[in-house]
Amino acid sequence: MIRWNRLPLCLHVAWREFRAIATSYAVLLVLVGGVFAYGVLYNYMYAPNVVREVPVSVVDHSHTALSRQYIRLLDATPHVAVARQVQDMAEAKQLMLQAEVYGILYLPRDFEGRLLRGELSVYPFYAATDAFLYYEAMERANLEVMEAIDAAHRTEQMAFLSAGELAAVATQSPVTVVGTALYNPIEGYGVYLIPSVLMIIIFQTLMMLVAMMTGDEYKHRLLAPYVRLRGSHTHIALSLVCGKSLTYAVLYGIFSFFLVGLLPLLFDIPHGASWGALAVLLVPYIWSTSFLGLALSRWYTDAEAPVLLIAFFSIGLIFLSGVSYPFELLPWYWQVVHYLIPAAPAVLAYVQLSAMDASLHDVWPQLLALWGQVVVYFAWAVSTYKLKVGN
Amino acid sequence: MFMNVFLRELRRMTSRRIYLGAAVVLPLFLIFFMATIFGDGQMRHLPIGIVDGDNTATSRNIVRNIAAVPTFEIAKHYTDDAEARAAVQRREVYGYLSIPSDFEADMVRGNGATLNYYYHYALLAVGGEVMSAFEKALIPVRMAPVVVEAVTLGATEESIETFLLPMTSDDHALYNPSLDYAVYLAVPIFFIMFQILVLLVTLYAVGSERKQGTGTMWLAAADGNILRAVAGKLLPYTLIFICEALLAGVVFFRWEHIPMAGDMGLFALTMVLFIVATQSVAVILYSLFPVLPLVISVVSMVGSLGATLSGLTFPLSAMSPVVQWVARLFPVRHFTEAMQCIVYFGGGFPVCWPQLAVLCLFPVVMLLLLPRLRRILSTNPYDTVE
Repeated sequence: MIRWNRLPLCLHVAWREFRAIATSYAVLLVLVGGVFAYGVLYNYMYAPNVVREVPVSVVDHSHTALSRQYIRLLDATPHVAVARQVQDMAEAKQLMLQAEVYGILYLPRDFEGRLLRGELSVYPFYAATDAFLYYEAMERANLEVMEAIDAAHRTEQMAFLSAGELAAVATQSPVTVVGTALYNPIEGYGVYLIPSVLMIIIFQTLMMLVAMMTGDEYKHRLLAPYVRLRGSHTHIALSLVCGKSLTYAVLYGIFSFFLVGLLPLLFDIPHGASWGALAVLLVPYIWSTSFLGLALSRWYTDAEAPVLLIAFFSIGLIFLSGVSYPFELLPWYWQVVHYLIPAAPAVLAYVQLSAMDASLHDVWPQLLALWGQVVVYFAWAVSTYKLKVGN
Repeated sequence: MFMNVFLRELRRMTSRRIYLGAAVVLPLFLIFFMATIFGDGQMRHLPIGIVDGDNTATSRNIVRNIAAVPTFEIAKHYTDDAEARAAVQRREVYGYLSIPSDFEADMVRGNGATLNYYYHYALLAVGGEVMSAFEKALIPVRMAPVVVEAVTLGATEESIETFLLPMTSDDHALYNPSLDYAVYLAVPIFFIMFQILVLLVTLYAVGSERKQGTGTMWLAAADGNILRAVAGKLLPYTLIFICEALLAGVVFFRWEHIPMAGDMGLFALTMVLFIVATQSVAVILYSLFPVLPLVISVVSMVGSLGATLSGLTFPLSAMSPVVQWVARLFPVRHFTEAMQCIVYFGGGFPVCWPQLAVLCLFPVVMLLLLPRLRRILSTNPYDTVE
């Protein structure tokens, strides 16, 4: 049935690979669960996108109109909700310990008094840092209220100004500082995280797919028919690597279309990349991942063990990619590793293309890294398969 | 009998590289990874750009002040906003400050000068740092015109500043005052990734018996007692995992100087309960779905959900109630709560006992399922689905 002729052999391998994938429950489970269920699930989980109404408690020792105004304004911000007003700090700390509140605003006895005397009124605000998003939300809400209250009482405070100060206030105005978020106008956490997760799902499930196929291949000696073929080992290895990766490329062309093409449209996460740009990124990404998987298959002796190892690395890839902690601040050796693993540069390039309206020209370092991997991992995969059919 | 199973498992472990790799090498690698990946944990020297359209003494002074901020490193000056924006797109800079032309003139005339800064929010963590550093650095600039004028007219700087900002909040970031990423993430992410290994190694150790057709031999080694069989099999791993977790504790809290407010002994107990609870979940899952390739496929994906369901980066309370409920089924959620309670708040046993109690429930559920596992092992020693 196997004819010695490189093109048909390669296609024959591709067809066999496809049939093997379609008839293995475990593989189908990874593909359906990993690609489709996971892709949708992540979007669902992060759909709230922003944290709102972070609960804080207030210790109000001032009991004045001003302190009540402050508390009202704080409660009115979208970021923070005043969950409890308590008598003293001990009680507030207890609430924090029980994770009922994440911040404590303390308004001292002379909070309004100092203002009425024209003195500086300083009050402490304590915020938990066990989730940075909560911390940022609380810090921001408190700053907004502080500025609003300060502005509201400025006219009354004129009474305390000297002639020189009055003149200065009358003739000068403060500089307006405007900060603008680029690319993520709703400031959403999902908007930021999900594109990276989707790209890592592609890497992760494809590596698993290759591991399961090649692990079974070793265990059940599925390469035996190819070993018996006449012809050079290089040609057989080339046909095997090309045939298998052809199947992976076709399947993952479809899956990627769903993950990074369709899902972003459905869930309204960034989708700024054109189809053409996506293709230019995905072709080397899928190839380098397939070849890396095939190259590593030298050490796969069953279908389960490698899957276990691959699963372990998923979260680490987010850090390695440089989307959460900046690439520039990673130690040099992790920066080197970043360029060796297809998922890391691909995630970064995808975020730039889809969320930052970058052009392909802007992501050339990542594309170059991916194509470098394609070449190196292809050669490595062929040598792995030469070894396999050689024995 | 118990020792039989224990020793048999030690022989199985040493017979294949995968056990050494997944139970020893990877956890050690993980400790190294989490201890080094954040550099020194502080977001410093982030590249930013400057567009100085004014180019006067005032604008140059502002730029000098920005250059002195430790978070920033001025990578480049750009001639206009479009050029700076393109640099952000290439990820050369994470944000930029734009000083419009006539800035100084507007300021002197009291015309309401404006400064604009832009920060990268597709990369949210970095963007947040850049934004808050800009806000803090530009506070003196905001008030500068009024203060300078008032001081020239004979007022003191202090009194005019009191007038401008009479109420000033003194913000305290509890447990992590410098907002250090290593302090924030190293310990919890280590345990989130560690539990993936614990889950999968346990599943593999249990599931490979029927996969290799040795299920009945395993049971026979324990004289048919399923409790002994499971305990003897899991104990070697439990011991290894506990040693690794303790080593991680030493590395993070002693060498890396991550602050630990609570009692190290209580934290060690929490880690032990967490490891046992996670192993129990693996046995529970295998007892319910006793086909190794399928259950490994599912768990390898479910394991990384731990990062989301621990509520570490995006708080769970902001997610839908369904997700919050599902998260309770994962030991990692309860562990994260207990860890934050002990490590950050310095909470003792009276405060975090509910989390520890819940972690103890997982082994109990496992015990309830052992009869089912026994039945599976004795009646059907092979995996049937391929």
